[in-house]
Amino acid sequence: MIWINDTLVSQGDAGVYGERVINGYRVWDPYRSKLAALYALGAGPDLIKSMRVLYLGAAHGTTVSHVADYTDVVYAVEFAPRPIQDLLEVSARRRNVIPIMADASRPQTYAPLIEYVDLIYQDIAQPDQVEIARRNWLFLKDGGIAVLILKTRCVDVKKSPKEVLATATIECEDCGIRVLKSTWLSPYHQDHVALLCTKT
Amino acid sequence: MQSYWFGDVEGTSYQPFDGSVEELVERIKNLRVDIEEFVPLEWEIARQCGVAATREEYLDKVKAVCVFMARQNVASYYQRRDVKLIHMVRMLDGIDEATNRLTEDAIEWYRTQDPSFSMKYRKIPHRQVTDMMTSGDESFREVKEEIERIANIRAILMKEVARTANEIIPNTSALLGGLVAARLLARCGGLRELSSLPGSSIQVMGASTALFSHLKNGTPSPKHGIIFQNYRVHNAPRQVRGKVARILSSKVAIAARLDYYRGKQCPEFVREAIESVSRARYRT
Repeated sequence: MIWINDTLVSQGDAGVYGERVINGYRVWDPYRSKLAALYALGAGPDLIKSMRVLYLGAAHGTTVSHVADYTDVVYAVEFAPRPIQDLLEVSARRRNVIPIMADASRPQTYAPLIEYVDLIYQDIAQPDQVEIARRNWLFLKDGGIAVLILKTRCVDVKKSPKEVLATATIECEDCGIRVLKSTWLSPYHQDHVALLCTKT
Repeated sequence: MQSYWFGDVEGTSYQPFDGSVEELVERIKNLRVDIEEFVPLEWEIARQCGVAATREEYLDKVKAVCVFMARQNVASYYQRRDVKLIHMVRMLDGIDEATNRLTEDAIEWYRTQDPSFSMKYRKIPHRQVTDMMTSGDESFREVKEEIERIANIRAILMKEVARTANEIIPNTSALLGGLVAARLLARCGGLRELSSLPGSSIQVMGASTALFSHLKNGTPSPKHGIIFQNYRVHNAPRQVRGKVARILSSKVAIAARLDYYRGKQCPEFVREAIESVSRARYRT
């Protein structure tokens, strides 16, 4: 990962969403991107040039554009028609962003389009996040890394964020997803926790 | 056999699919993938298959297919009639918000020219308050006329919303009236979404603050949300209002399914539903 004076940056074609640029590098703001927050907290998996990434919940493609700066290819899955327009714009300027309009909980609809990946990044505000990860688990190479961002308020409003995390961790272990580490994304994002997982 | 976007692969024999991007997309849409048996692709297979000579070429090709599919999906989404209705409802609510704010500000401004101005004991609806503002300098008159113009647009748009709702969600509209039916549709994002909701969700839709406070802190549960705007609910006596809302919303849940799956009015269902809602008022 590239840091300039404690600021996380990535190297690529700038001006995607009006991001700041330092010495030709694009600033990756931890307050805007949950993945950047994870790096700012020192808990993110290193992105390297040979990596193939499956990105579930690509939204407007802002974080996607930074991930694409670091990696070989990003398969960006998004379901909602409005953000897809922005994602298509991003993919038009970035050769290695492949936009897929599909429901991440139904991998059978996009399985023929993608390949084995080294990293799954999942940032979907849905209550059944672990189940969605499990269904996409087949795309991950052995030893591959998965980052699940849990928006705990979206999973169950009745439970405290800590309880939600505990339940999700157990659910992960039950379906063979090994959780290496969990990191709360405060102060950058409230009630969000990142689960760093691996496939063994 | 494994099916990928470029063709079928069985063991070591490949059957590349030959065709344009459009034909490829058609094929992919019709693939029935059994996810339990599916083996993800190694791109080298595509190379051996003759799809692409280099990784760059491979990625460019698969990307062309994905972009084409996404554009097609987006286009067909925006052609859906319920989507158009949803945006009309949002615009209507936006206009309401804007006129209310502007009218409030205009009243305050008008007071500086006519300090005795008051809304008390006036027998005209609040939204026609601009009619009473007779004096004022030029810029004030311009603002006033603009507010009136927007209010007129609102009236036209409202009729249009109700008419469109009657057309595309006839059963739901027959129970609730076009405008309230359209508001429900707008809140849940589409007819498919509305038709898959249980009656109890429809009952409290639009009362999310009260609902979450109920779930988290145990305050009394909300009896009605958007559905309150229907006269059967808000005219009902207070003691039975919750019951009327409950029965009406469960009928709406059925109506939405009729609208989604049949797409035409079912007079018999509507009659029976209205009867049972009316009965709810009197049963104890």
